[in-house]
Amino acid sequence: MKKHPLCRPWEHRLSRRQWLGSVAGGTLGALGLGAIAEPLLADELKKKHRQVLFIWLDGGLSQLESWDPKPHTQFGGPFRAIPTSVPGIQVSELLPRTAKLMHHLAVVRSLCTKDNSHSAGVARIQRGDPKNRGVTYPYLGSAVAKWLGAGESGLPPYIWVKPGSSGFITSDAGFLGPKYGAMAFGDGKPPENLLRPPAISSDEDRERNELRARLDRRYAEKRRKENTEANAYVYEMAAQLQKKQELFNPATFPAKDVARYGSHEFGRHMLLARRFLEAGVTFVKVNSYGWDTHGDNFVGHSNMVPRVDQAFAAMIEDLADRRMLDHVLVIMMSEFGRTPRINGHVGRDHWPEAWSLIMGGCGIQKGALVGKTNDKGTFVTSAEHDIGHLFHTWFQALGIDTQKVEYDNAGQPLPLAHEDCAPIKELLA
Amino acid sequence: MHAGGPVLLSLMGLLFWNTALRAADPLHKEIDRLILARAGGQKPGALTDDAEFLRRVTLDLAGRIPTREETRAFLQDTSPSKRAGLVDRLLNGADYPRRMQELFHVMLMERLGDHADWTQYLQTSFAKNKPWDQLVREMLRGRANDEASKGAPFFLSKRLENYGQNPVDHPALARDIGRLFLGIDLRCAQCHDHLFIKDYKQRDFQGLFAFVENAALKSGPTPEVMEKPTTRKLGFQSVFRKQPMETGPRVPGFAEIEVPVFKKGEEYRVPPNPKTRTPGELRFSPLAKLSETLPVPQNDLFNRNIVNRLWFVMMGRGLVHPLDLHHKGNPPSHPELLDGLAREFVAHKYDIKWLLRELALSDTYQRSSILLPGQEKRAPETFLTALEKPLSAEQMLWSMLEATGEKERVVAASKSGGKNAPLEQARQRFLKAFSGPVREAEEEFSPSLKGVLFLENDALLLGWLTPRTGNLLDRLTKLSDDRVAEELYLCVLTRLPTTEEQQEVESYLKKKAAHRTTALQHLAWALLASTEFCLNH
Repeated sequence: MKKHPLCRPWEHRLSRRQWLGSVAGGTLGALGLGAIAEPLLADELKKKHRQVLFIWLDGGLSQLESWDPKPHTQFGGPFRAIPTSVPGIQVSELLPRTAKLMHHLAVVRSLCTKDNSHSAGVARIQRGDPKNRGVTYPYLGSAVAKWLGAGESGLPPYIWVKPGSSGFITSDAGFLGPKYGAMAFGDGKPPENLLRPPAISSDEDRERNELRARLDRRYAEKRRKENTEANAYVYEMAAQLQKKQELFNPATFPAKDVARYGSHEFGRHMLLARRFLEAGVTFVKVNSYGWDTHGDNFVGHSNMVPRVDQAFAAMIEDLADRRMLDHVLVIMMSEFGRTPRINGHVGRDHWPEAWSLIMGGCGIQKGALVGKTNDKGTFVTSAEHDIGHLFHTWFQALGIDTQKVEYDNAGQPLPLAHEDCAPIKELLA
Repeated sequence: MHAGGPVLLSLMGLLFWNTALRAADPLHKEIDRLILARAGGQKPGALTDDAEFLRRVTLDLAGRIPTREETRAFLQDTSPSKRAGLVDRLLNGADYPRRMQELFHVMLMERLGDHADWTQYLQTSFAKNKPWDQLVREMLRGRANDEASKGAPFFLSKRLENYGQNPVDHPALARDIGRLFLGIDLRCAQCHDHLFIKDYKQRDFQGLFAFVENAALKSGPTPEVMEKPTTRKLGFQSVFRKQPMETGPRVPGFAEIEVPVFKKGEEYRVPPNPKTRTPGELRFSPLAKLSETLPVPQNDLFNRNIVNRLWFVMMGRGLVHPLDLHHKGNPPSHPELLDGLAREFVAHKYDIKWLLRELALSDTYQRSSILLPGQEKRAPETFLTALEKPLSAEQMLWSMLEATGEKERVVAASKSGGKNAPLEQARQRFLKAFSGPVREAEEEFSPSLKGVLFLENDALLLGWLTPRTGNLLDRLTKLSDDRVAEELYLCVLTRLPTTEEQQEVESYLKKKAAHRTTALQHLAWALLASTEFCLNH
């Protein structure tokens, strides 16, 4: 059937339903390893196994107190700028450890996005703000899970380490369907029921599952095989996942690492994230909350930014030492920046007009500096970059050519990122 | 088959039907005749045995597996009419209204959310066997006119809530009315005529949309909807042809409803009162028109949709499949059967109980799901072998309670009701583990990781396998090794064990004699977690 940009033939939807029939409910497909990615793309990408660490500072990190300091100016605030390991790039003095690692990283100071409202903004940015076609786009994590698959980790391709509750977050996946959702480790803990109660030993677990499997085999002898097969597949995934328990058991974290990353929440979550990356998880997202300093911006940043600096720098060091930066794309960002103007509560409000982020690894140009803001930091004076430009850039770095590859939403072809944007060339080595 | 084949067959089907009507055969005989008429020489499966039939029909009409007493009694019953007797008992039994409430809730709300008044509404309606057309009239009206329809507006009101900062999704409501009451998914037709489905026109979507565009949620303890005045036709244009068009409210296939013009300020018979927060009474209410003009006998889409959905509930697949894609390019597998069911259902005044009874009495429903050698590739839409159906989260809950012998205790401890009652807590946990994603029809078996992890490790469920006076484990611990298998299989799988299974149980218990209770728990768990248990076969 010929594809059409706007609609989908029912034949396609039928096959989507049948596919979902065996995998829906969140996660069967999410652990379906290679089966997820489009075959052609998958073969090529599998060899390289690229990964992503996506750090989301929920709210808005102030660009002036991080990657685009403007000391001694009207809106500059109290903090100094310090040199980094890359001549010509200065960052806020709140980031001394990351400053020393700037030769691995790239700074973008030309972000100019469109929306300064919360909650709508989180989804808008993480979905890449594509052109509105009446469909709900996947978050970056679900998109990467779709295109890169789960590799051979035996773990789901999209894991989210965050404060709060655990679970299967299917809404991230948008039109890709629930199987591309995130498995969330709330407060670093696995989803409910993942851990076996202590009363059941692994031997006993194997034993009861053998009894079950025998029953299933007998049942399947006389009936359509699909149902039993689908069930067996999910039980197998559960077993795989439970085998990896040590990975996310904090008792197994070396004390030296805990000290380096920080014993605070963000430090612990970043260390867990490193272990997931080492285990081969395709996309790891780490959330930090509380970045909304409408009041007391400077005290807030002087408390929070050093923690991020500590854990982020430890992560970059470790990824570099393990030669993982060659294939792990690291991104740290918020949904917008903060107003240069300092409000009556010594705070900074939301500012999507001119803000910054940091990224690195996986072929991102080392030590690159992209974009420039005016002296007061109020507007971008170089070419402006929207989130769409970054999505193109990131997909490109991961080996996914946004000019050639498109989603097939059950017959409806859709671009991966906003078609009015393009990759930022200076960022791609 | 030559080109004239299908037409000829369908004409023959109509002839059969007419003959049947004159001969006054019961509907279930007609169903079997029309299914076999399209079998194309394939042999239908044998009728299912008594145990499987009992389990199947109890799950379908009572929403749970049978109790061990019911199973023993039914297997010992020698009356030739015991199947029909069972169907009647279930249709008039205490579980029927609850089962229908759960079934229609899942079908109509697609896990969007729940409300106590809505639950109550569905339960009492099915207890009274309220006709389908009346149910739909009450659901689409937007407000409860009497105590008996309190809660009915939840179908609309839940869809008029906004989520976070997203605006109320009126187009999704229009689409759901089309999908769930007319069997047509007009999604693509919101912006242009459907490109592949000739029958789905943009004016059809917009006509439905015009009924609900001015509907809004009315806050209050019970679900209700209010309307802003509709004073003009709805303007729209195709994204392909920028040519302005307009429509008044219109049910697909029917004439447009004229939008009356009132002088400014005269739109209301009773004006709204902000002080008492009453929305007033409009002279022209599109929702009133919708509820009057959609669920009517002349509306073929309305009639076919519901009989197709009830057929799906019992047979595991729609005659038109997917259920919300009725159109000429996706014809029913048995067109004359679908037409006949619709016609007879209307003739029986939309009597749901009557139709379910006829379906349950048919051989088509009562066939075994076992595929004999050579039948492995048999197409499901032949309905010659019974299709396995997934258990809903609700059916899982009631069946697990029944199987573990915990139902009595949990229900008794929950008499006072409320959120902390053990039954409600268990229900929430089962819903979390087994219900499908929001806004997805639960039509196919979809095992999920969260479901499997629940079965393997959930403390609540494993707790039901702790020996407690009178429950399954308690009974098993008191039986000798050679009698365990029978009790276990009867209680959990509603059948007797095979010789192989009997031996398996005995040898496992012998091997684990030192840890007998644990061994019994593993045996019971394996049955509960099996594919056989979580399907209605």
